Amino acid sequence: MTNEAVILTQALTKSYGHAEAVRGLSLSVGRNRITAFLGRNGAGKSTTIKMLLGMIRPTAGSGTVLGKQIANTGENREVRQRVAYVAEDKPLYGYMTVEQTIRFFSSFYPDWRRDVERKLLHDYELPLQRKVKMLSKGMRTKLALLLAFARRPDLLILDEPSEGLDPVGIEYLLQVLVALSADGVSIFFSSHQIAEVERVADHVCILEKGRLLVDASLDQLRQFYRRIDLVFPFSPPEGEFRISGVERIQTSGHQMSVFASRNAEAVIERARDLNVVSVEIAPVGLRDIFLETVKEN
Amino acid sequence: MLWYKAWLETRSRFLTCLATLTLFSGIFVHHAQGLIRPEWKSDFNRLLFVNQQFLVIMWVLSVVLLGMGGIVREKAIGTSSVTLALPVSRARLLRVRFGMGALEAIVLGVVPWLAVFVVASFARKPILITQVASYVLLLVAGGLVYFAMAVLVSSLVSGEYTAPALAFGIVLLAAMLFDAWLRQFNLWRLVTGDFSIDRSTYLLSEHLPWMGILSSLSVAVLMLLASTIVVQRREF
Repeated sequence: MTNEAVILTQALTKSYGHAEAVRGLSLSVGRNRITAFLGRNGAGKSTTIKMLLGMIRPTAGSGTVLGKQIANTGENREVRQRVAYVAEDKPLYGYMTVEQTIRFFSSFYPDWRRDVERKLLHDYELPLQRKVKMLSKGMRTKLALLLAFARRPDLLILDEPSEGLDPVGIEYLLQVLVALSADGVSIFFSSHQIAEVERVADHVCILEKGRLLVDASLDQLRQFYRRIDLVFPFSPPEGEFRISGVERIQTSGHQMSVFASRNAEAVIERARDLNVVSVEIAPVGLRDIFLETVKEN
Repeated sequence: MLWYKAWLETRSRFLTCLATLTLFSGIFVHHAQGLIRPEWKSDFNRLLFVNQQFLVIMWVLSVVLLGMGGIVREKAIGTSSVTLALPVSRARLLRVRFGMGALEAIVLGVVPWLAVFVVASFARKPILITQVASYVLLLVAGGLVYFAMAVLVSSLVSGEYTAPALAFGIVLLAAMLFDAWLRQFNLWRLVTGDFSIDRSTYLLSEHLPWMGILSSLSVAVLMLLASTIVVQRREF
């Protein structure tokens, strides 16, 4: 796995005074995968990305991107040659025109793909002579994505890539992400749009208060996460169900709802031992997994 | 292309300052006949010396404005994440910015004096190119430290108004303090030519204060190094 990881962190920590933005993050992002990085606002996603790109220094721990140490200034510069990054608010230089922006960024990357540039300029209908400060948020997002996609990067790091895009733009973005992944580009993106994540991601990491709570493939999540609704002839004892894999238990009268990340069979077994009246097992969508995970913590 | 970016960022400030300084110098020398007093012995030379006094004030204001901006200011307006994601070192970003600013500062010193020379030549006034060159040298080589100070301040302070206010404050305070206690080391007097002027002919001495100029340039280099260290250590 280590050899295949494009991003690898070990106990990565970032503190600002007494506040820990990222706490002991050990993360492994596989090559040629689309990995979604989920978390609430302030969970530490952007801080993690900034550490990966050398914009801020870790307080503790270490990390590599494409095999290069993130804390080493020289190696980090090499990383930035091979990584395309789209920041959260899609900041670009307002005083440049669209054409000047493309000319400026393309000059840093010898592998710049003019064909991709032309295609996206056409598809996104970007006005070449318009100043960036005069573009709408959606247009600016499109331009930022063009700059990232036309670079032929090994790794694409996107912070809220669909922010500001209309549904057509989002659909197009998701298609491009899938196509790039098929072309061998590893993608690591943060998003609040769980429906989009569910459509394209292979792997999901959930961060909450700087800690990594979930690190699993989407298939694994779908396979193991279950919501089990139980009805008993009496008020059920919650303690009986506090077993490994049970993330949350909610009891109301004779009813109990168990949210399990694994071991659903063991929960049902216990329920049967307690003469359960009714058992309903339902697979859980990513949205519920996310909500339950962050709610629990 | 980093040079191109640096140019786009500073061109409006630079061109405005260039036009102001050039027009001022040209018009001042052309219309200053009325200012010349009968008791002045070397009236036109004295006029050129006065021109340098005004030019220094405007030039220092201009280079301090040109020194504003950079990656710390970009952090405040949100574009630092784009710049820092480029495959270039922070030191190179600063060097290019400093290089572009220094070039502009040189042009801001040379062009207004060229305008003075052209205007004076057309008006058949006694102006020596060596004197013009000396004024430019004092202004640019001696005064580059003001630009370096502005770059250092802008590496420490991000506020759109705080940074220039602080830089202008330092210029003023330094001029006052040095004039009060260390007059012979007062950079302002070095740049204006006050240390080199012959009060009878109002011509600059052939022996320019090279030690002062070299010291000033050395301090400018030290300030650039300090700015580089600050920017490299800073978190964005």
